[in-house]
Amino acid sequence: MTAMATPAQPAPEARLRPVPWRGMAWVSWRQHRYTLAGLVAVLGAAGLYLYITGMHIRHEVPIMGEMFTMNQTKLTLTPIAALFQIFPALIGAFVGAPVLARELETGTFRYTWTQGFGRERWAASKLAQIAIAVTVLAGAFGFLFSWCYEPIIGVRQGLSPLMAITFDLRGVAFAGWALVAFAIGALAGILVRRVVPAMFATLAAWSGLAVVTGVFLRPHYETPLVTRGFNLPSAAWVISQRWTLHGKPVSLAAVSQVLQKIGAQEVAPGVFGPTGPAHGPNSGNSAAFGPGGAWRSAPTYLLHHGFTQLTSYQPASRFWPFQWIEGGWLLALSLLLMAATIWLVRRHAA
Amino acid sequence: MTTLTTPAQPGQGKSMRPVPWRRLGWVSWRQYRFPAIGAAVFLGVLAAYLLIMGLRVRSGYASVASCPQLGGRLSHTCGTALMLFGGYHVYGESTAAVLMAVPVLIGAFAGAPILSRELEVGTFRFAWTQGAGRTRWALARLALPAVIVTAAAAAFSQLFGWFYYPFFATGDSAFGPQYFELTGIAFAAWTLAAFAIGTLAGVLIRKVVPAIAAAMAVWAGLLLVTSLYLRRLYQAPLSVRNGGHGAPGVSPWLISQWWTGPNGKAITSENKIIALINHPQPGYTQWTTYEPGTRYWHFQFIEGGWLLVLSLLLIAAAIWLIRRRAA
Repeated sequence: MTAMATPAQPAPEARLRPVPWRGMAWVSWRQHRYTLAGLVAVLGAAGLYLYITGMHIRHEVPIMGEMFTMNQTKLTLTPIAALFQIFPALIGAFVGAPVLARELETGTFRYTWTQGFGRERWAASKLAQIAIAVTVLAGAFGFLFSWCYEPIIGVRQGLSPLMAITFDLRGVAFAGWALVAFAIGALAGILVRRVVPAMFATLAAWSGLAVVTGVFLRPHYETPLVTRGFNLPSAAWVISQRWTLHGKPVSLAAVSQVLQKIGAQEVAPGVFGPTGPAHGPNSGNSAAFGPGGAWRSAPTYLLHHGFTQLTSYQPASRFWPFQWIEGGWLLALSLLLMAATIWLVRRHAA
Repeated sequence: MTTLTTPAQPGQGKSMRPVPWRRLGWVSWRQYRFPAIGAAVFLGVLAAYLLIMGLRVRSGYASVASCPQLGGRLSHTCGTALMLFGGYHVYGESTAAVLMAVPVLIGAFAGAPILSRELEVGTFRFAWTQGAGRTRWALARLALPAVIVTAAAAAFSQLFGWFYYPFFATGDSAFGPQYFELTGIAFAAWTLAAFAIGTLAGVLIRKVVPAIAAAMAVWAGLLLVTSLYLRRLYQAPLSVRNGGHGAPGVSPWLISQWWTGPNGKAITSENKIIALINHPQPGYTQWTTYEPGTRYWHFQFIEGGWLLVLSLLLIAAAIWLIRRRAA
């Protein structure tokens, strides 16, 4: 197919640029309106759920108290949050990957890239518009999520605002993750050149990035604080814990040996229980955790025997700095990926 | 495009069926091998992770299980082993949460493009007018991937069961909504259902990307409705007062738990409930609604059965639509 209406390169002469950006915006809108409508529908449905839940929480808190409401809501919050976690990946796969891959797969790029508008401007215009739409929608959704769960996040240790379960769903970070998913999708599209494999590659790459960030990067955006003893500030995000005996590091084995004497064990960092077979949280067998035993005084017992527990943690007050750090580097990465995409479009032999 | 080398319908004459199924199978495989390899790589990476983590988890559990329990006291190596094993639980839980999405990723990405791609790019005009006939063609293209995907999912869920066994043995219930879909035969059945939903969506929508999106949405909705409302209807749950539902085998699926006071009203105060757990008082009753663990396989077969029937119906509907459709 060689439908070359104008030269492939717009050439340096400035007057040879007849197609205005606004015209291009209209073309982008026509091509992607169904995708955007789908995105609005999905985020809108989820947003409606968040609005109803948020109103419900605000109704419950004054009656039932914060703790009870949190325990009730946490049951649904965990699966709902896990579901929302994949939204950015789906945005990348379904909105980002087809933008260029579909044109390359079906061959329409031969037509579109040879128009007077120029292929880099064509790609840049489409990417920029959809990227802005995705970021704005995701940002709005993120703030709605924040609003919904604000009364119960950070009420106590169990649900620090910095923990991965909700941190990347809120405000700036969610917009950043959606934008980076879109950028990964666009790049995968030009590299793989086929829609379905590019979608799959996007899902895989985004998930890898999210896991690496959550496990390795986020705990170190700022140097963690270290505390002794067992009284952590409310809603702190615990990163690691270790024991010392008279100032020297000791192994967990030594600690558990001491704990044996009072029939206690550390079941999770900083949480003590009676000895016995391990119990999963869903065991429903509350008998073993029943009437109090000596294990309840385990922390005091350990302190009297010279043990110190060093806990490194991120205080909840770092929530907003962390949000801006994460949003910032995700924005920079997205811009880099989109620049690489446009560069590949330029280099690609039409 | 009108490359009609043979009549579109194979006609009544039995002598006019030259293309044997084996050849069709070969064509189907040639067209399908790259997605199949992609799915195999994806499952392979996850399986490698499960294998590596599984070996660690199981060796941790082996040292916990071999601990002698003498009057509730454990040696200090046992205490350490217990602590180490307890630390694995959070990895197991989050792995399980991630794997919930695997059936729909495999099923929808494998199923939806097969027919919708042909319709979207127009190759159906060629493929459907060959001597094999469009019904046999569609059947040959769908049957092989459906069987491969279901078998791979079945093998994968066995691996998950192996990986998660120590946590099931120490309290997590394979019957619970987070794990029921991942174990037994349900995983394979849900994968096949995603494949079938994707196939029908592909024929109805006729475009690849919207078909995948629709299949994912419908599948997620079906799973949600099933685990929240339908599954407990397979057999009416039992109710019991003041605990006492321990039995060997699969732990029961606890559907709800609440306390009633002497006046018969439910207690909502959390502090009161904590106090009651620690110091039971006369007049206060703990109620539990549950499905006993002995029903686990019964439920698995019910769920596997209706999902299989549903999948076959959906695929049949897709083929019927193709037969009816004007080429």
